[in-house]
Amino acid sequence: MPLTVAHAEAPARVLIVDDDGQIRQLLAGFLKENGLDVALARDGVEMRAALGQQAIDLIVLDLMLPGTGGLDLCRELRRTSSLPVIMLTAKGDETDRIVGLEVGADDYLAKPFNPRELLARIKAVLRRSRGDAGASTPSRNGYAFDGWRLDLLRRELINPEGALVELSGAEFDLLIAFMESPNRVLSRDWLLETTRNRTPDVFDRSVDVLISRLRRKIEQGSDGAEVIKTVRGAGYLFMPKVARA
Amino acid sequence: MRDWLRNFKFDTLTNRTILLMLIGIGVVHIASLYAYQIALDREASVASDTRLADRLLTIKRAVMRVVPAEREPVAHELSGGPIEAHWSRTDHAVAGGPGSAEWEGLRAKLIELAPELATNQIIIGANRKLESDPHLALISLQLPDESWINVSVFSRLTPPSSNHGTVLSTSLMALGVIGLSILLVRWMTRPLQTFADAAQRLYKSADQARVPEEGPREVRELASAFNEMQARIKRLIDDRTQALAAVSHDLKTPLTRLRLKSEGLKDKALAASIRADLAEMEQMLDQTLAYLSGDRTDEAIRSLDLAALIQTLADEASDAGADASIVGAGRLTIEGRSLALRRAFGNLIANAVKYGARARISVSSSDSTVVVTIDDDGPGIAAGDLVRAFEPFQRLEESRNRDTGGFGLGLTIARTIILGHGGSLMLANRSENGLRATVILPIKATASAAV
Repeated sequence: MPLTVAHAEAPARVLIVDDDGQIRQLLAGFLKENGLDVALARDGVEMRAALGQQAIDLIVLDLMLPGTGGLDLCRELRRTSSLPVIMLTAKGDETDRIVGLEVGADDYLAKPFNPRELLARIKAVLRRSRGDAGASTPSRNGYAFDGWRLDLLRRELINPEGALVELSGAEFDLLIAFMESPNRVLSRDWLLETTRNRTPDVFDRSVDVLISRLRRKIEQGSDGAEVIKTVRGAGYLFMPKVARA
Repeated sequence: MRDWLRNFKFDTLTNRTILLMLIGIGVVHIASLYAYQIALDREASVASDTRLADRLLTIKRAVMRVVPAEREPVAHELSGGPIEAHWSRTDHAVAGGPGSAEWEGLRAKLIELAPELATNQIIIGANRKLESDPHLALISLQLPDESWINVSVFSRLTPPSSNHGTVLSTSLMALGVIGLSILLVRWMTRPLQTFADAAQRLYKSADQARVPEEGPREVRELASAFNEMQARIKRLIDDRTQALAAVSHDLKTPLTRLRLKSEGLKDKALAASIRADLAEMEQMLDQTLAYLSGDRTDEAIRSLDLAALIQTLADEASDAGADASIVGAGRLTIEGRSLALRRAFGNLIANAVKYGARARISVSSSDSTVVVTIDDDGPGIAAGDLVRAFEPFQRLEESRNRDTGGFGLGLTIARTIILGHGGSLMLANRSENGLRATVILPIKATASAAV
């Protein structure tokens, strides 16, 4: 089980495709500082060239590009590979978000984004894609438990009644951590590791607070049954059966 | 009938036209009847004056020709109808008194019609013996031998013939005109309703709603002008949206660079301060774009847990160091637009925290609605400003310094979103100090929200 991408093995290589030179350079510097290897491309042509030359683990793709736009490039990529893609856009419109996800992007971030949030998303997507290595199929975009559904693309939690349940970024990441390791006791430290890059501008809530918030949202109405069990001195255990969906 | 009158509204074109036609036709009808009657009366009076003059002349001649002993029987013989003639030695008529002007006119007219009557004296007046009878005009004609014929005229005027036939036909015509005009106006105003519907559709959705260009020429021209106007409006809106997208893109790129540059700063305090400024700029940009996009939204309506949404917002406020608490939240499923509602409640909670020190949120529901109240402990809003608070770019109280951030769009946006969900947003000062914002939302999306 690869826990941290940066230290456990060879650093993952991220290809940044953005037409703004400064953003490319600044982002490259920031990601390198945080233990990732970086390649750069300013448009579709350079992106294809870079993909031909070196092994890339993930692409950070700007939506607004000269020549072939980001959406078309993403569609093109999806036809040939399952390389993870995080879309960047200046729009931040709901429609753009949905379209971006529909053309097969793994995640989406609106400019101006928080660099540390991008880092967290990159790590999360890499962790997911490595976890699936070999068995990756386009439909691997969610989890289900007890009638609930967690949509990783749209970052949405849907309750058994079909209603959208709002989660904070940290709560969502916490839930993903449980989904990835169901029926296993997860330590506070491990849970903190998966969530601490989420909301770096506010002081980090303890895992206990996040757990209690998550419980309040997903244990409401489910017959009072315990979904997340506290294991004294060890951490937390996610009780329901989890299926990929 | 009374109900019908009460329900009859005079603000529709049809009803106004009917009313106008009724009044117009009524006035014309009455005026023409009046003119007709006057002419008829004049005709009749001229005819009766001529007849009277002829008869008086006949009586005078006949009586003159016979001996005095036979004069009374002859006069009597010639009486009949409205005229009764008697021969006597004296005149019975007295000129002057009430009605003398009319009698004088009659006298002049009789002399004009039969000048022979004037060869001797002619007096028209009241009966000397029956002075009290005003209807009875008495004409005394002097004969050459100075005896008199006294002729009583019961009525000089022929009674007005009742014109029921005329009234009936005119009324029928009026009814016909009214009926026809109702049909006509209804037919002509029907396109107006189409225009109104199309204008509504244009407002509610960004789509162009064309009005069919058919019907009479004026309506066709109006439809064509209306369609052209719609196309212009749509172009204008599209251009504006395009310009906004361009501006927002162009601003977001340097903002992204600044974000990245702040990560490289050694001075952590400075970096944090720069990031706070950036966050504020981003929020302003975001709010302005949200405000300008108005109640047009491409976000779909879906089922969502409002309690979880508000809970998340309250938690985020607490994480940012604010005092925000929530009571009454369970699972609360409603139909709505999640991002929009997040923005609306986020703005309300942010206001409470900013201006009122803390946000105390309560969530409750009934069969068809959800009520969310957000109380703060601030100074509230002066009663006169409660309405103004919703206006864009209004920052109430000059004392609120810019540190509080935002620039007066939060409430405007919140209200637009909540109205767009078929709900309502009210502000009120709480009796125990502080402001209460009350949001009422329908659980099922209403038709207007579903556009």
